[in-house]
Amino acid sequence: MKAKSWITICLSMSLLLMFSAPVLAQGVIKIGGVYPLSGNIASTGLDCKRGVDLAVDIINGKYGKDLDLPMAKTGGLPNLGGAKLEVVYADTKGEPKNGMSETERLITQEKVVAIIGAYQSSVTKTASQATERLKVPYVCSDSSSPTLTERNFKYFFRVSPHDAIFARDWFQFLKDVEKKTGKKIATVAILYENTEFGSNVGKYARKYAEEFGYKVVADISYAANATDVTSEVGNLIKSKPDVLMHASYITDAILFTKTFKEMGFAPKGILTMAGYIEPGYLPAVKADGSNIIVRSTFALDLGKKKPLVTKVSQLFKKKYGIDMSENAARSFMAPFVLADAFNRAKSTNSEAVVKALLETNIPGSQVIYPWKGIKFDPQSHQNIYAQGGLVQVQNQQYVTVWPFASAAKDVVWPFPGWKGRK
Amino acid sequence: MKNLSPKTITVGLVVLALLLIFPMVVTQIFPLQIMILVFMYAMLGVAWNIMGGYAGMFSFGQAAFFGIGAYTSSFLLMTFHVNPWIGLIAGGVVAALVAAAIGYPCSNLRGHYFAIASIAFAEIVRVHFNNWTLMNAAEGISLPMLDESFVNFMFHTSKVPYYYIMLAFLILALIVCYFVATSKMGYYFRAIKESHDVAEVLGVNVVRYRLVAIMISAFLSAMAGTFYAQYVLYIDPESVMLLAISVQIVLLSMLGGAGSVMGPVIGAAVLIPIAEVTRVWLGHRGTGVDMLIYGFLITIISVYQPQGVWGLLSRIGNRIK
Repeated sequence: MKAKSWITICLSMSLLLMFSAPVLAQGVIKIGGVYPLSGNIASTGLDCKRGVDLAVDIINGKYGKDLDLPMAKTGGLPNLGGAKLEVVYADTKGEPKNGMSETERLITQEKVVAIIGAYQSSVTKTASQATERLKVPYVCSDSSSPTLTERNFKYFFRVSPHDAIFARDWFQFLKDVEKKTGKKIATVAILYENTEFGSNVGKYARKYAEEFGYKVVADISYAANATDVTSEVGNLIKSKPDVLMHASYITDAILFTKTFKEMGFAPKGILTMAGYIEPGYLPAVKADGSNIIVRSTFALDLGKKKPLVTKVSQLFKKKYGIDMSENAARSFMAPFVLADAFNRAKSTNSEAVVKALLETNIPGSQVIYPWKGIKFDPQSHQNIYAQGGLVQVQNQQYVTVWPFASAAKDVVWPFPGWKGRK
Repeated sequence: MKNLSPKTITVGLVVLALLLIFPMVVTQIFPLQIMILVFMYAMLGVAWNIMGGYAGMFSFGQAAFFGIGAYTSSFLLMTFHVNPWIGLIAGGVVAALVAAAIGYPCSNLRGHYFAIASIAFAEIVRVHFNNWTLMNAAEGISLPMLDESFVNFMFHTSKVPYYYIMLAFLILALIVCYFVATSKMGYYFRAIKESHDVAEVLGVNVVRYRLVAIMISAFLSAMAGTFYAQYVLYIDPESVMLLAISVQIVLLSMLGGAGSVMGPVIGAAVLIPIAEVTRVWLGHRGTGVDMLIYGFLITIISVYQPQGVWGLLSRIGNRIK
């Protein structure tokens, strides 16, 4: 036989191996977790990983039957012979190119049958392009860029709300507050940092302001690593808005809070995102953070109306010794969605799993957020029930105040100003 | 190839033959990805070497040229459906023009001052792209998925075509570098590197040759940028214009051996696999051990081999002779 034919044979054999259906090895289903586990946002990535690990333990039946979560009662996937779930992690360092290459490696070499992760939206973009090419399902519950579900990918599904939903929530909240207090709110100021996250929020805030009938009196963007923001705050004061809406990271959130106080900028309400709920924010600003309202999908006090949240957060605290954060809580749900889909599909075949994902209908009682449940839009594959919530800093704690139905305490409104704070 | 010994040519050809059959023997995606990255960074190193290693202009701003290449071809493809191969040339030309525009006013800056100016330049470019709405600002550009073909410079089912294209790019860069190094221009470059004033006194048009070096370097870096965009299919200023990329390029060139044609290639061949493999082995534990090992190896090499890995290899080579 000639060398050429040998090469052809070898090549086709290896191709066959590569594309042969993944086999269930001893009742273990492997899924890939792509997260920034080293580099400058490693702490966030590790937080996400904790949420996922706890979820997998629950699915595999480690914590018994009293949890009302998918698979918790059966321990493993009953329709697949009690198969257990296993997560193979890969580190992206937060770089889009690693998101792609690690996803491809996990699928082709580690033989994972689905992907979860990758926290940063830019990394999720390349990772989901890889799953789309390799035809493997991807369930994301921790990236919030609206563009991800605007691509109408066949294999990509998102459980968590995106920034456009969060921006919409701000305005819905204003409407609800008007109804509650009977006082009119007319004008808003939009303030946002200028990377992808902030600019997107700005874009959607403008859109929804028009839709909900509020006048935008200031539209200000800035660099998140700015060291002085007095001119921005000066412009805010000049525009006299009823409400400020601010999308920021953590360092700029701290800087703005201090500058607001120094310059006495006190609108009726300060509605914010992201940076204001990072674990480092409150320790840095202390009492100055009081009464600021932040978007959040999760808060520990949800447990007052939803015992499941308390049970899960207690397990979390027992396992890791720290409170369950919003990041951990967001990543927590993706493994359940996948396990539920595998179980109903009775297979890990991509097409069957995608079909099952499209038929997903997890009730609100089995979700640790204040949602009606999980059900994906047939076109965009965004969870149609995903919504944010708002928490307010009261007595140095984040307290759920909206939607009013799941509120743990009444919202303090209007913002009482800066006087009398230490 | 008058200056190459038969032995060097033989070794070169054997290595080339091995690289050519590599994708036929190794069909797993991950090793291919590492090799593609090695080739890409090697090309960026070779491009840097022309200005940094030969002409003595220590640029810490190569990411700007890399990014401009990526952005030019991606923008043309996204907005005007221009074929990426044309975008590749366009990117190179734009990068070279920008390089000339910035290189001219900087032509009297030497040593550290040039390095500082190059950092400032690259950061200005990055911030600009981060806010430039025509270029999708911070959101970045997702490349439209075209049909898989060589003409479209896009392959969805296999990495092998990317491998050969990048290898060809690298060889092209090496040929350019070799001719620059062995031509009269190469001697001018080295004279400028040794001493600006002496070169000028000897009649070398310093400003002009520095510009030539910067422009060649920018053109080649931009080619690698277009490749990156076509390979990853998504770019944003954070992933193609970060200072960390510029530093990585300088690092691997210095480590491999600046001022020799093959130095940056060796540097990339050592550094990139270490970075990737340590990340895959240890990164997922989230302890940062991979970064520690990576840093430790760099320190070891710089302490014991200031000439770079290439210096070590040629010394061994000489001993065998």
